[in-house]
Amino acid sequence: MNALASGGFWAFVGVVAGIYTIFSLGLQLQFGFAGLLNFGQVAFMAIGAYAMAILVVKEGWSTWIAAPLAVVAAAVAGVLLGLPSLRLRADYFAIVTIAFSEIVRYVATNENALTGGSQGTIALGKVGEAAQYNAQWTRFQSWVQGRLHLTSKDAAMLAIVWTVALVLLTLVWLAVRTPWGRVLRAIREDEDAAASLGKNVLSYKLQALALGAALAGVAGLFYAWQFFFFSPDDFQPLLTFFAWMIVILGGLGRIWAVPVGAAIFGFLFAGTRFLDFRPLSSLDSADRAYVRLIVIGLVIIGLVVLRPQGILGKRDEMVLE
Amino acid sequence: MSARLEVRDVVHAFDGVRAVDGATLSVEPRTITGLIGPNGAGKSTLFNCVSGFLRPQAGRVLLDGLRIDRRSPHRIARAGLVRTFQTPRTLARMTVLENVLLAASGHPGEQLGGALAGRRREREARARAHELLELVRLEGQANSLAGTLSGGQRKLLDFVRALMTGPRLLLLDEPMAGVGPAVRVQMLEHILALREREGLTFLIVEHDLDFVMRASDRVIVMTDGRVIADGRPDEVRADVRVVDAYLGTLH
Repeated sequence: MNALASGGFWAFVGVVAGIYTIFSLGLQLQFGFAGLLNFGQVAFMAIGAYAMAILVVKEGWSTWIAAPLAVVAAAVAGVLLGLPSLRLRADYFAIVTIAFSEIVRYVATNENALTGGSQGTIALGKVGEAAQYNAQWTRFQSWVQGRLHLTSKDAAMLAIVWTVALVLLTLVWLAVRTPWGRVLRAIREDEDAAASLGKNVLSYKLQALALGAALAGVAGLFYAWQFFFFSPDDFQPLLTFFAWMIVILGGLGRIWAVPVGAAIFGFLFAGTRFLDFRPLSSLDSADRAYVRLIVIGLVIIGLVVLRPQGILGKRDEMVLE
Repeated sequence: MSARLEVRDVVHAFDGVRAVDGATLSVEPRTITGLIGPNGAGKSTLFNCVSGFLRPQAGRVLLDGLRIDRRSPHRIARAGLVRTFQTPRTLARMTVLENVLLAASGHPGEQLGGALAGRRREREARARAHELLELVRLEGQANSLAGTLSGGQRKLLDFVRALMTGPRLLLLDEPMAGVGPAVRVQMLEHILALREREGLTFLIVEHDLDFVMRASDRVIVMTDGRVIADGRPDEVRADVRVVDAYLGTLH
């Protein structure tokens, strides 16, 4: 209990919330602005994380080259997914995206030579050698810790993740306020209307999908760096639905709703670990971990009843057709 | 001078039912052409074929002599053929002004990262959008969400949004449907004035025959997917085939 109440634990919760902010920001752009029903966001996170780890371990590239390339890889995957599937109706597109994310996970599980298979990134290198992809990152983290006179590496990570998150939030916030963002919102409202006014709907949807995928790729990088090791099991479809919860909790079509939703989600997710009292203490800790999912479910239901537009959403927009 | 719009032998079938079955017509520049016909005559399908929302299975569509029947809707719109829809396609959760601004053509700000380059175009577009909203008396609601407008106001918004693109040919799909008398008069005045002052060309599907006969320079009558009559309003009114099409052949 004391360990949980320590600064280190909350720094960890903050880092996770920051990673989820970046991850969900991509979904907010795709669904909240362009209306794309993407249920496969986690795939782009996996592609970002794996591309970076593979380039660093197998190709011996610098982290600072591998990381941006991994983000580009996630965006390219978005374009490749979108080209054949974005012409589908919204609900069919949703099915394709969830299938895509499962395909990515299964490929990562089974392509042992490329990804290390189900053993995860530890098996990326030579046999009998535990592969590491974050030596350069850890040095950078220590450097940041030293420069900012922080007491822990966790605090340094917290500062880095949230700095990047705030920069990305600001960039997306600026982008959606331009005429470009106006076209995205028009496509969300009615894509036939947008097409009838000369807007290339497919091109804009591809841009939104690719940019959202790139953001998930960035989240994947931080995920990889935070946990030193990851495996295909880390990229279950559940993560995509966490992003959906965050976006709906915060409010659709509102950029600054994303960190609010992510912070609440992170707090609920981690905070339910404190439910260590009767009668809950009669459950073992693994079972109690599921209680948090129940709590989050109840919060979502309560929100839908009391505030369907999300915390920062506008109700008058919800009731319009 | 060639026709603004030429439709030649266009065919479109749904599961074997030939909704448009070899329709041929043309629309001259600076004219108002009314397209009438009973329900199921194929008018809406023809509109969709011409505006690219359906691909004709046979035949050609030419805009100022240029083939457009293989193009996607947005490219046809950019070429200057812009349509409205029977039920207005209001972008409900955007403001009235944004609805109109969206229609600005050739806007560099609509490219990702083009916001700075597009600032001048955005200023021009705003000025023009306010002008258009003033014209149809929606300026007072410019900053309201478009979803709060009434049915008739939505029709007017759709109309000025189409105008905002700077079209050569406007296809209006039942502009009078579900519109109150005051807006009807206003709409008719706008259409006549725009043809007169700006040389706009209109092709209008409308069930309100009184409106069609008063507004149109030419009237085209469709039934069973084909054009059966084409002429001045008074000629068409007197055409026995037209009377047959509307009343059936029993008499």
